[in-house]
Parts: sequence; structure tokens; C-alpha cells
Amino acid sequence: MGRIVGIDLGTTNSLVAYVDAQTGQPQCITGPYGSTLCPSVVSLDPDGSVIVGEAARRRLLTQPERTIYSVKRLMGRGPADVQNELALFPFRIDPNSKNVIRVMLGDKMFTPPEISAFILRELRSWAEAELKEPVDRAVITVPAYFNDAQRQATKDAGRIAGLEVLRLVNEPTAAALAYGLHEKQRGHVAVYDLGGGTFDISILKLISTTEGDIYQVLSTNGDTHLGGDDIDNFLQAFVHHRVLQNGSFDFSASAESTQELRKSLIALKHELSEKDSALLRFPLPNGELFTHEFTRAEFERIIQPIVARTMAPVKQALADAHLAPATVEEVVLVGGTTRTPLIRRTVQDFFGRKPHIDLNPDEVVALGAAVQANILEHGVSNMLLLDVTPLSLGIETYGGAVSKIIPRNSTIPASAQEQYTTGVDNQTGIDIHVLQGERELAKDCRSLARFTLKVPPAPAGLPRIEVAFLIDANGILQVAAKDLRTGEQHSIEVQPSYGINDTEIERMLEESIEYAEQDFAERQLIEARTESQAILAATAKAFNNPQSADLPADERANIDTAIAALKESSAGSDYKQIRKRIDDLNHATEHLAELLMNSAVSTALEGRKLAEV
Amino acid sequence: MEGLEQKFLQLSWKLHPDIFVNLTEREKEISLERSSKLNDAYRVLRDPVARVEYLLELEGMRKEGEHKQQAPPELLEEVFELNESLDELREAKSAGANLDVLSGKLRAAEKNFGEKLHQVDAELKTAAQQWDAALDADASDPDREAILQRLNELLNRRSYIRNLVAGVENELTGAAS
Repeated sequence: MGRIVGIDLGTTNSLVAYVDAQTGQPQCITGPYGSTLCPSVVSLDPDGSVIVGEAARRRLLTQPERTIYSVKRLMGRGPADVQNELALFPFRIDPNSKNVIRVMLGDKMFTPPEISAFILRELRSWAEAELKEPVDRAVITVPAYFNDAQRQATKDAGRIAGLEVLRLVNEPTAAALAYGLHEKQRGHVAVYDLGGGTFDISILKLISTTEGDIYQVLSTNGDTHLGGDDIDNFLQAFVHHRVLQNGSFDFSASAESTQELRKSLIALKHELSEKDSALLRFPLPNGELFTHEFTRAEFERIIQPIVARTMAPVKQALADAHLAPATVEEVVLVGGTTRTPLIRRTVQDFFGRKPHIDLNPDEVVALGAAVQANILEHGVSNMLLLDVTPLSLGIETYGGAVSKIIPRNSTIPASAQEQYTTGVDNQTGIDIHVLQGERELAKDCRSLARFTLKVPPAPAGLPRIEVAFLIDANGILQVAAKDLRTGEQHSIEVQPSYGINDTEIERMLEESIEYAEQDFAERQLIEARTESQAILAATAKAFNNPQSADLPADERANIDTAIAALKESSAGSDYKQIRKRIDDLNHATEHLAELLMNSAVSTALEGRKLAEV
Repeated sequence: MEGLEQKFLQLSWKLHPDIFVNLTEREKEISLERSSKLNDAYRVLRDPVARVEYLLELEGMRKEGEHKQQAPPELLEEVFELNESLDELREAKSAGANLDVLSGKLRAAEKNFGEKLHQVDAELKTAAQQWDAALDADASDPDREAILQRLNELLNRRSYIRNLVAGVENELTGAAS
């Protein structure tokens, strides 16, 4: 068997990490673009090949209808659940989608687990290139507040990618593992994890026992639809409103413009984490240029509602753990969005102590996943993770009410047994509806599964069937039934309310292999060369523009040198070198791009980089 | 409680599925079943109310899922008043009237019953200690029976008051929005 890696399958970025056998320390694997972050973006090329990561991200602007991002938001959800998302995300959903959403990329349809599987395959190839051995098993992280269907969808994605998913680990718990290894914390720890699309808060107790360290999760809470994406959406809505106020062109129908704006706003958001103000320049499709100077204060006013929404789950998690904010000894911030100063201030004020930010908030979850992978690979030695189920498990009773059988924050694995009998003579089936959620009525909870318990014909009340509901260590439900009179085990065919069945997964696995069997390095080289041609062409075009005459001679010389270097390496086969020289040329032409931008916004400039001019 | 936690952690080292990941399917199944039983037991035993419920079930005093929803006689008058106020609030709501006075009244009642809930919890704790003491002293059956009866009464009262408080909370949040 090959290596086990830890994978953070994120909304915005995904990462893969492993524990170095020599140092015993976890580390993230660097991809072909020189970053450990693999953008969670998938694009289907017109030639039928699938492109993942940075190369796909760049296609968001040029081929939005063939490219998808933030697919994690669709995992384990039904078409009715995502209507709100559709207003803000340019997802094209097949209108005939029933229980499982199907997304259109070009003219092909994919389920969210299939798209996530492409990302997993990409990370797997990163890992195999780095470790120089096959990787066929993984620990994958999920938001702690993910429900059963969302977890199952993530596990399915692993299977479609040809990976055996040994464990799903909750993201904040993984972060706590990474921190624990890093600096040996003790006592109560709160992990505040705000990522691209999800928010989690987990309260843990770190305990030393003679056998080793136990990471016991006491409570968890969150919102699986709250994150950096929402900040982008708020900023986008703000700009849209302003543009309309100015009586300018309504750009919202243009997918390209929307993507372009989103990209600029993300850059602006990052800039505002460092600086007190930042300028937005947004060329409208009609040739006008919209500009707005965002101050930090204005930015914080816009995003305040999002930060506020994280605090109710924080308070609930503390209450469930029977703790007050001041009794929490350590606070850890995880997720790229926690770089926002307003969030750091809010968390610090609430707990009355400075949060830990020592580990890279983008990488810490993947590092923790690698630690857990290492534990599972070599057998538990001196670290044990006890996690909880985030949502109560219940069954529907008469009148549409829900009877809770496993309360939220129960340590997993957890189980409950229920006894059933018949109400009329010779009744052959009992309908059971399993739900997840905290509300009193079935209609307000999340439907997990419905199934009919088969009963041999008998007088009413005579059959005694015991159904065992078990939540496994991945937070996924298993159901088994036993006839108490005969002791016979009944097999139960549980049809998940929002999921794919095994036959479909097998078919998807076969199909995905066809997409993925291109040699990794070869594909990287092709992509790098294509990109190199694009930027060289763009630079040549820029020099044809009369405005380029304003460029100082020394800068022109620098650009010429960079062009020559890039041409030379493009003829070779070292894709990493090509990428580096593309970056060099991009850097050298920044000023040139600006010159052209100032003069000719009306010629549909798309970004700051010349390649995109 | 301290001892309970230590025992739980000790057994977790022996039973948790992480320890059996690389073993056979059969071993994994057994670990899953046993560790879930361990966790279920810990969940019940560390919660004072669930613990008493479980004890009463063991002693055959209470069946799973069965709760008496009768108002304890000494609370009848207050419960009557509370239900009247709740009715008035619902009426006022549908008539779109000002809810401030009624809300204030209900909030006071909620606080009152909240205090009663604390009181019941304290009594429950005392009775549970009496049970432990009776076991240690090897007390007679009638004595044990009396304590169990008392525990059962307290649990019923507790669940009744808790439902009342939840009902009031529900109406009040509805009134605020």
C-alpha cells in the first residue's frame, strides 16, 4: 500500500500535506506554480481535458461557462437548497437535477463530488510527484458543522478520485492537532475557523494521560455557508449598487465583468488587511471606468454583519461546553479570512486574550490532517482524537415532530437503539425517516434518509424490531435492524435523501480515470508553454500601442531581457523555470500595463497583468 | 465525576476505531460497536439528569420515552396564571396590540420558573446523593424504593417546568421579532 496523505479540501483553496519521516513534522506540498495552495477551481477544456488549480483559476475570466469555483458549497445539497447561492454564484445547474445537483461545464454535466474528485486527483499527483511513490489513501478534512450528506459527498469524492478515505477529520480539530504538536498546549482551547465558504467554532480539552495526549472535542458549532465568499458578495453588491447609483451601465448580466470585479475585490480585500485604504479600479463593459477608494473603516462597516454572524455559534458552543469565554485558555485562528483585522479584534475582545496566529492559517488544517494520517498509518501511539457530532440525530414521530435520539456534541462513534412494532394486523412495513438538526419539527430539520423496515406478517403489536442508529468516527450515519423475536439481522437499504448510490460512484470512478490519465509533468509543460505564448503575444501587442512610447528606456530593456529569457526556457522542458520567467515578465511589465490601463480602459482591459490585456 | 472521566479516557485508548484502522473488517466493526457503547455510556453518566433517568429505567420505574406531563399540584395556581398570560399574549399578537406589558409579565414568570428549575436540580442532586448513600449503607428495599419514588417525582417536575420555560421563551422570541 502507498502513503497516506492529509488533504484540506477547501472552498477556495485545497492543500495536501504529509509528515516527514525524518523530522516527524508535517509539511505542505508545493505545487507546480510554486504555492502550497491549489485553487479549488476546475475547468473543462473544449478538447475534453480537465484543468485544475491555478491554471483553471486563470480561466475564470476567459471561460467562465466552462469553469467552476467554490463547489464545496454545493456538496451534499439538493437543488432547492442552493437557490440563494445561484443569485450570487455563476453556477449553471442542470434544471433537471433531482436529489443530486448536476453542474454544467460547457455542455457536460458533473455532480459536485465528481468536481471535487478532480481537485483530489490533482493534489494526489502533487503528492506522488513529491513523495515519488503511489498515494492511494487519505485523511480528508471537512467543516465540523458539515451534516451527514455533506460528509458522505466528501467521502464519495475521495472514492471517485481513487482514494480510500481513511478518516474525515473536522477542520478545527485538525488545526488543534497541528497546534498541539507545535507548542504543546493544555487545557481548554477554542478554534475559530473562518474559511472561504464555511465557519466553524470548536471547543477542545487537551488532556495528558499516561498513555499519551487526548484531544477531546467538547462542542462544536458553525455555519456551512458563511465565509470569505460572503465578504466578496457583500463588496460586490456594494459596488453594483454604487455603479447603478451613478447611473452607469448595469454589468451584472456579464459573467466576464462579474468575475473581473470579483477578482479585483479579492485583491482589494487582501490589501485592506495590511493597509488603511485601497483603490478599486473597475472597467465597466461599456468602456467607463468605475473607481472607489475604500477605507478600512468603510470596509469594516460593510463586512460587520458577517463577523457578527459568527458570534452566535461561538456563544452556543461555549454554552454547550459549559464554559465562559474567560475560562478558555487558548484561542486559535484558522482560515485565510481570519487575517482580516476586524475579525482578529472581535475574537480577541470576546475571549479577552490574544489569539494564536503562529501557524499559517491557510496551511494549518492540512498540516493537522497530515498528523492524523500519520497516526492512522503507523497505528495510534501517543495521540488520540475524540471528536463529536455537530448536529442532533432524530427520527420523525407522529405529527411531524422529531424525537432526538443522539444529541449534538455527543462523542463519536455514538449510537442509539429504537424499538418498533406494528399498528395494524399483518402490516408488512414500517416507514422510518431519519433527520439531523436542532429544530422540533421534521420539516425544519435536514432529511438524511427514509427507509421502510420490512416486517413479517403478524398480529398488530407483536413484531419487535430494534433499529440501531450509529454515527461512525467520520460523522456518517449507519443503520442496522434486528428482529428481537428471532434475533435475525435485517439488512436495510437506506436511500440517502441527497446522495449518489454505489453504482453511480463506480461509473464516475471509471469516467474520472479517463479524464485524469495524462502525465502530470507533460500536462504542466503544455500549460506553461500555452501561458508563455499568451503573455509573449500580449507584450508584443502592448508595444504596438502608441502609449507604450512613454515607457522609460531602462524598463523597456528589462522587459526585452525577460522576453528573451522566457523564449529560451519555453523551448526547453522545465515547466517550473518557464513559470518563474512568466512571473518575471509579468513583474517587469507591471508599469507598462498601468500605462495602457490609464489611457485605454475602453479597450476592454481585463486586469493588471499584460497577459490578460 | 473525576473518576468517571479518567475511566472513560482510559477505555478510549483501548477501544477507539483509530487504533484498529489497519486491522481486519471484523476487528474494525467490533471496535466501532464497543467504542460507541463506551461513548453512549459516558454521555449518560456525566449528565446528572440523564444519569437519574437511566437509573430509574434500570429499576423499572420509568420506561424510555414516557414522561408524565401532569402539573405538580403545588404549582397549579402559578401555571394557571402563566397559561392565561400566554393566551393573552397570543391574542394581543393576532390583534396587533402593544405587547410590552404582557411581555414584561411573562418575563417575570419565566424568571420565576427558571429559579424553580434550579431548585429542582438542587433537590435532584441531594436525592441522588441519598441514593448513593443508601447503596453504600446497604439500605432496606422500602428505603430504596422511597428514594427512587422521590427521584421519579423530581424528574417529572423538572421536565414539566422545563417545557413551561421553553414554551414561554418560544412565545417571547416570537413577540420580539
